[in-house]
Amino acid sequence: MGKNVLLVDDSSTMRKIVGRSLRQAGLDFDNIFEAADGIEALDVLEKESIDIVLSDINMPNMDGISFLREKSTREGIKDIPVFMISTETGDDIIGEAKSLGAIGAIKKPFTPEKVNEVLGPLM
Amino acid sequence: MNVGQAIIDGTQEVFTTMLMVELVSGDPIEGKGGDVEANITSMLGLGKDIRGMLAVHCPANVAKDITGTFLGMEVEELDEDVKDAIGEIANMVAGNLKVSFKENGQDIELAIPTTVVGDSFRTGGMPGATRVAVPFTMNGSTFLIELKYMVAT
Repeated sequence: MGKNVLLVDDSSTMRKIVGRSLRQAGLDFDNIFEAADGIEALDVLEKESIDIVLSDINMPNMDGISFLREKSTREGIKDIPVFMISTETGDDIIGEAKSLGAIGAIKKPFTPEKVNEVLGPLM
Repeated sequence: MNVGQAIIDGTQEVFTTMLMVELVSGDPIEGKGGDVEANITSMLGLGKDIRGMLAVHCPANVAKDITGTFLGMEVEELDEDVKDAIGEIANMVAGNLKVSFKENGQDIELAIPTTVVGDSFRTGGMPGATRVAVPFTMNGSTFLIELKYMVAT
Protein backbone atom coordinates (compact mmCIF):
# COMPACT_ATOMS: atom_id res chain seq x y z
CA MET A 1 0.00 0.00 0.00
CA GLY A 2 1.34 3.44 -0.93
CA LYS A 3 1.76 6.51 1.19
CA ASN A 4 -0.25 9.70 1.36
CA VAL A 5 2.05 12.68 0.78
CA LEU A 6 1.42 16.33 1.70
CA LEU A 7 3.29 18.98 -0.34
CA VAL A 8 3.58 22.38 1.36
CA ASP A 9 4.81 25.28 -0.78
CA ASP A 10 3.43 28.74 -1.56
CA SER A 11 4.39 28.19 -5.21
CA SER A 12 1.79 26.16 -7.10
CA THR A 13 4.46 25.61 -9.78
CA MET A 14 6.79 24.03 -7.25
CA ARG A 15 4.01 21.82 -5.84
CA LYS A 16 3.35 20.53 -9.37
CA ILE A 17 7.06 19.93 -9.99
CA VAL A 18 7.62 18.10 -6.71
CA GLY A 19 4.54 15.96 -7.43
CA ARG A 20 5.83 15.21 -10.91
CA SER A 21 9.27 14.35 -9.50
CA LEU A 22 7.66 11.86 -7.10
CA ARG A 23 5.89 10.19 -10.01
CA GLN A 24 9.02 10.22 -12.22
CA ALA A 25 11.03 8.73 -9.37
CA GLY A 26 8.60 5.80 -9.31
CA LEU A 27 7.98 6.16 -5.58
CA ASP A 28 5.08 4.27 -4.02
CA PHE A 29 2.33 6.69 -2.95
CA ASP A 30 -1.45 6.75 -3.18
CA ASN A 31 -2.45 10.40 -2.92
CA ILE A 32 -0.73 13.78 -3.05
CA PHE A 33 -2.34 16.52 -0.94
CA GLU A 34 -1.30 20.17 -1.26
CA ALA A 35 -1.08 23.20 1.05
CA ALA A 36 0.16 26.74 0.32
CA ASP A 37 1.49 27.54 3.81
CA GLY A 38 1.90 26.12 7.30
CA ILE A 39 -1.64 27.02 8.37
CA GLU A 40 -3.18 25.08 5.49
CA ALA A 41 -0.76 22.21 6.13
CA LEU A 42 -1.83 21.87 9.77
CA ASP A 43 -5.45 21.83 8.62
CA VAL A 44 -4.77 19.02 6.13
CA LEU A 45 -2.82 17.02 8.72
CA GLU A 46 -5.74 17.25 11.17
CA LYS A 47 -8.26 16.08 8.55
CA GLU A 48 -6.42 13.54 6.39
CA SER A 49 -4.31 10.48 6.99
CA ILE A 50 -0.88 11.75 5.88
CA ASP A 51 2.23 9.57 6.00
CA ILE A 52 4.92 12.10 5.06
CA VAL A 53 5.14 15.89 4.56
CA LEU A 54 7.45 17.66 2.10
CA SER A 55 7.63 21.32 3.07
CA ASP A 56 9.19 24.56 1.90
CA ILE A 57 10.62 26.95 4.51
CA ASN A 58 10.07 30.48 3.15
CA MET A 59 6.28 30.90 2.92
CA PRO A 60 3.81 33.67 3.80
CA ASN A 61 1.31 33.44 6.69
CA MET A 62 3.14 30.56 8.45
CA ASP A 63 6.62 29.54 7.33
CA GLY A 64 8.10 26.06 7.47
CA ILE A 65 9.87 26.60 10.81
CA SER A 66 6.72 27.93 12.50
CA PHE A 67 4.78 25.03 10.97
CA LEU A 68 7.19 22.51 12.50
CA ARG A 69 7.03 24.29 15.86
CA GLU A 70 3.22 24.31 15.92
CA LYS A 71 2.96 20.73 14.64
CA SER A 72 5.28 19.51 17.42
CA THR A 73 2.72 20.67 20.00
CA ARG A 74 -0.24 18.79 18.51
CA GLU A 75 -0.57 15.29 19.91
CA GLY A 76 -2.28 13.61 16.96
CA ILE A 77 0.08 14.83 14.24
CA LYS A 78 3.41 15.59 15.91
CA ASP A 79 5.03 12.30 14.87
CA ILE A 80 4.27 12.56 11.13
CA PRO A 81 7.68 12.89 9.42
CA VAL A 82 8.51 16.15 7.62
CA PHE A 83 11.18 16.58 4.94
CA MET A 84 12.20 20.13 3.96
CA ILE A 85 12.50 21.11 0.25
CA SER A 86 13.81 24.64 0.11
CA THR A 87 16.28 27.17 -1.27
CA GLU A 88 17.31 27.57 2.38
CA THR A 89 20.17 25.19 3.08
CA GLY A 90 22.18 27.01 5.73
CA ASP A 91 23.28 24.90 8.68
CA ASP A 92 21.53 27.28 11.06
CA ILE A 93 18.05 27.08 9.54
CA ILE A 94 18.24 23.39 8.63
CA GLY A 95 19.58 22.72 12.11
CA GLU A 96 16.60 24.56 13.58
CA ALA A 97 14.23 22.57 11.35
CA LYS A 98 15.80 19.29 12.48
CA SER A 99 15.63 20.35 16.12
CA LEU A 100 11.88 20.78 15.57
CA GLY A 101 11.49 17.31 14.07
CA ALA A 102 12.40 17.59 10.37
CA ILE A 103 14.08 14.39 9.22
CA GLY A 104 16.09 15.86 6.33
CA ALA A 105 16.31 18.46 3.57
CA ILE A 106 16.63 18.75 -0.21
CA LYS A 107 17.92 21.95 -1.79
CA LYS A 108 16.03 23.57 -4.66
CA PRO A 109 16.82 23.22 -7.54
CA PHE A 110 16.68 19.43 -7.53
CA THR A 111 16.40 16.55 -9.99
CA PRO A 112 13.90 13.65 -9.86
CA GLU A 113 16.94 11.42 -9.25
CA LYS A 114 17.78 13.41 -6.13
CA VAL A 115 14.18 13.10 -4.93
CA ASN A 116 14.31 9.34 -5.48
CA GLU A 117 17.69 8.98 -3.74
CA VAL A 118 16.61 10.91 -0.66
CA LEU A 119 12.94 10.01 -0.33
CA GLY A 120 13.00 6.48 -1.73
CA PRO A 121 13.99 4.87 1.58
CA LEU A 122 11.12 6.68 3.32
CA MET A 123 8.36 5.66 0.92
CA MET B 1 33.83 37.31 -5.13
CA ASN B 2 32.84 37.54 -8.81
CA VAL B 3 29.16 38.44 -8.49
CA GLY B 4 28.46 38.31 -12.24
CA GLN B 5 29.85 34.77 -12.47
CA ALA B 6 27.84 33.78 -9.39
CA ILE B 7 24.66 34.99 -11.15
CA ILE B 8 25.59 33.03 -14.29
CA ASP B 9 26.41 29.83 -12.39
CA GLY B 10 23.36 30.07 -10.13
CA THR B 11 20.94 30.76 -12.98
CA GLN B 12 22.34 28.09 -15.28
CA GLU B 13 22.10 25.50 -12.49
CA VAL B 14 18.40 26.32 -11.98
CA PHE B 15 17.60 25.99 -15.69
CA THR B 16 19.72 22.89 -16.24
CA THR B 17 18.34 21.08 -13.20
CA MET B 18 14.68 22.10 -13.20
CA LEU B 19 13.93 22.81 -16.88
CA MET B 20 16.57 20.66 -18.63
CA VAL B 21 17.51 23.77 -20.65
CA GLU B 22 21.05 24.93 -21.35
CA LEU B 23 21.03 28.74 -21.14
CA VAL B 24 23.46 30.90 -23.08
CA SER B 25 24.71 33.76 -20.90
CA GLY B 26 25.93 37.15 -22.05
CA ASP B 27 28.67 39.11 -20.34
CA PRO B 28 27.78 40.54 -16.91
CA ILE B 29 27.02 44.27 -16.99
CA GLU B 30 28.12 46.39 -14.04
CA GLY B 31 26.30 49.70 -13.67
CA LYS B 32 23.65 50.85 -16.14
CA GLY B 33 22.68 49.12 -19.36
CA GLY B 34 21.52 45.85 -20.78
CA ASP B 35 17.82 46.45 -20.10
CA VAL B 36 15.30 44.25 -21.91
CA GLU B 37 11.71 45.10 -22.80
CA ALA B 38 10.12 43.17 -19.95
CA ASN B 39 6.42 42.32 -19.69
CA ILE B 40 6.89 40.54 -16.38
CA THR B 41 9.34 41.11 -13.55
CA SER B 42 9.72 39.09 -10.39
CA MET B 43 11.61 40.74 -7.53
CA LEU B 44 12.89 39.31 -4.29
CA GLY B 45 14.28 41.33 -1.40
CA LEU B 46 17.61 40.49 0.25
CA GLY B 47 18.52 41.32 3.84
CA LYS B 48 21.13 40.91 6.57
CA ASP B 49 24.77 41.19 5.32
CA ILE B 50 23.78 41.86 1.69
CA ARG B 51 20.81 44.21 1.30
CA GLY B 52 19.03 44.76 -1.95
CA MET B 53 16.96 43.05 -4.58
CA LEU B 54 17.24 40.30 -7.15
CA ALA B 55 14.99 40.70 -10.20
CA VAL B 56 14.13 38.50 -13.17
CA HIS B 57 12.96 40.60 -16.15
CA CYS B 58 11.25 38.68 -18.98
CA PRO B 59 9.53 39.52 -22.26
CA ALA B 60 6.16 37.75 -22.47
CA ASN B 61 7.35 35.05 -24.88
CA VAL B 62 10.25 34.05 -22.63
CA ALA B 63 8.07 34.00 -19.51
CA LYS B 64 5.52 31.76 -21.26
CA ASP B 65 8.32 29.54 -22.61
CA ILE B 66 9.86 29.13 -19.13
CA THR B 67 6.48 28.37 -17.56
CA GLY B 68 5.49 25.94 -20.30
CA THR B 69 8.78 24.08 -19.93
CA PHE B 70 8.44 24.07 -16.15
CA LEU B 71 4.90 22.68 -16.20
CA GLY B 72 5.07 20.62 -19.37
CA MET B 73 2.15 22.36 -21.03
CA GLU B 74 1.28 25.08 -23.55
CA VAL B 75 0.98 28.54 -21.96
CA GLU B 76 -1.15 31.12 -23.81
CA GLU B 77 -1.08 34.23 -21.60
CA LEU B 78 0.67 35.88 -18.65
CA ASP B 79 -1.58 34.26 -16.06
CA GLU B 80 -1.13 33.23 -12.43
CA ASP B 81 0.91 30.17 -13.44
CA VAL B 82 3.42 32.41 -15.25
CA LYS B 83 3.69 34.84 -12.33
CA ASP B 84 4.22 31.93 -9.95
CA ALA B 85 6.80 30.23 -12.16
CA ILE B 86 8.90 33.36 -12.72
CA GLY B 87 8.71 34.06 -8.98
CA GLU B 88 10.04 30.59 -8.30
CA ILE B 89 12.91 31.15 -10.76
CA ALA B 90 13.80 34.32 -8.82
CA ASN B 91 13.56 32.38 -5.57
CA MET B 92 15.90 29.58 -6.69
CA VAL B 93 18.46 31.93 -8.30
CA ALA B 94 18.50 33.98 -5.10
CA GLY B 95 18.95 30.77 -3.11
CA ASN B 96 22.00 29.88 -5.18
CA LEU B 97 23.40 33.41 -4.75
CA LYS B 98 22.85 33.05 -1.02
CA VAL B 99 25.11 29.98 -1.08
CA SER B 100 27.78 31.88 -3.08
CA PHE B 101 27.75 34.84 -0.69
CA LYS B 102 27.83 32.45 2.27
CA GLU B 103 31.06 30.95 0.87
CA ASN B 104 32.33 34.54 0.87
CA GLY B 105 31.45 34.89 4.55
CA GLN B 106 28.28 36.94 4.01
CA ASP B 107 24.84 35.79 5.12
CA ILE B 108 21.65 36.75 3.24
CA GLU B 109 18.04 36.52 4.33
CA LEU B 110 15.59 35.99 1.46
CA ALA B 111 12.13 37.54 1.23
CA ILE B 112 9.20 36.08 -0.71
CA PRO B 113 9.09 37.04 -4.43
CA THR B 114 6.74 39.72 -5.77
CA THR B 115 5.80 39.64 -9.46
CA VAL B 116 4.61 42.52 -11.64
CA VAL B 117 2.97 42.16 -15.08
CA GLY B 118 2.47 45.02 -17.52
CA ASP B 119 3.51 46.66 -20.77
CA SER B 120 5.07 49.81 -19.34
CA PHE B 121 6.78 49.79 -15.98
CA ARG B 122 10.21 50.43 -14.52
CA THR B 123 11.85 49.26 -11.34
CA GLY B 124 14.03 51.65 -9.39
CA GLY B 125 15.25 52.68 -5.98
CA MET B 126 18.34 51.97 -3.89
CA PRO B 127 20.52 54.96 -4.82
CA GLY B 128 24.17 54.09 -4.34
CA ALA B 129 23.61 50.37 -4.75
CA THR B 130 25.88 48.21 -6.90
CA ARG B 131 24.07 46.84 -9.95
CA VAL B 132 25.13 43.68 -11.77
CA ALA B 133 22.94 42.40 -14.60
CA VAL B 134 23.36 39.34 -16.81
CA PRO B 135 21.42 38.72 -20.06
CA PHE B 136 20.52 35.11 -20.82
CA THR B 137 19.21 33.61 -24.04
CA MET B 138 16.66 30.81 -24.04
CA ASN B 139 15.41 29.45 -27.38
CA GLY B 140 16.63 32.60 -29.15
CA SER B 141 15.01 35.16 -26.84
CA THR B 142 16.67 37.19 -24.10
CA PHE B 143 15.78 37.82 -20.47
CA LEU B 144 17.73 39.58 -17.74
CA ILE B 145 18.71 38.72 -14.19
CA GLU B 146 19.56 41.86 -12.21
CA LEU B 147 21.09 42.17 -8.76
CA LYS B 148 21.13 45.50 -6.93
CA TYR B 149 22.87 45.33 -3.60
CA MET B 150 24.76 47.06 -0.83
CA VAL B 151 27.00 45.43 1.73
CA ALA B 152 25.64 46.11 5.21
CA THR B 153 28.03 47.93 7.49
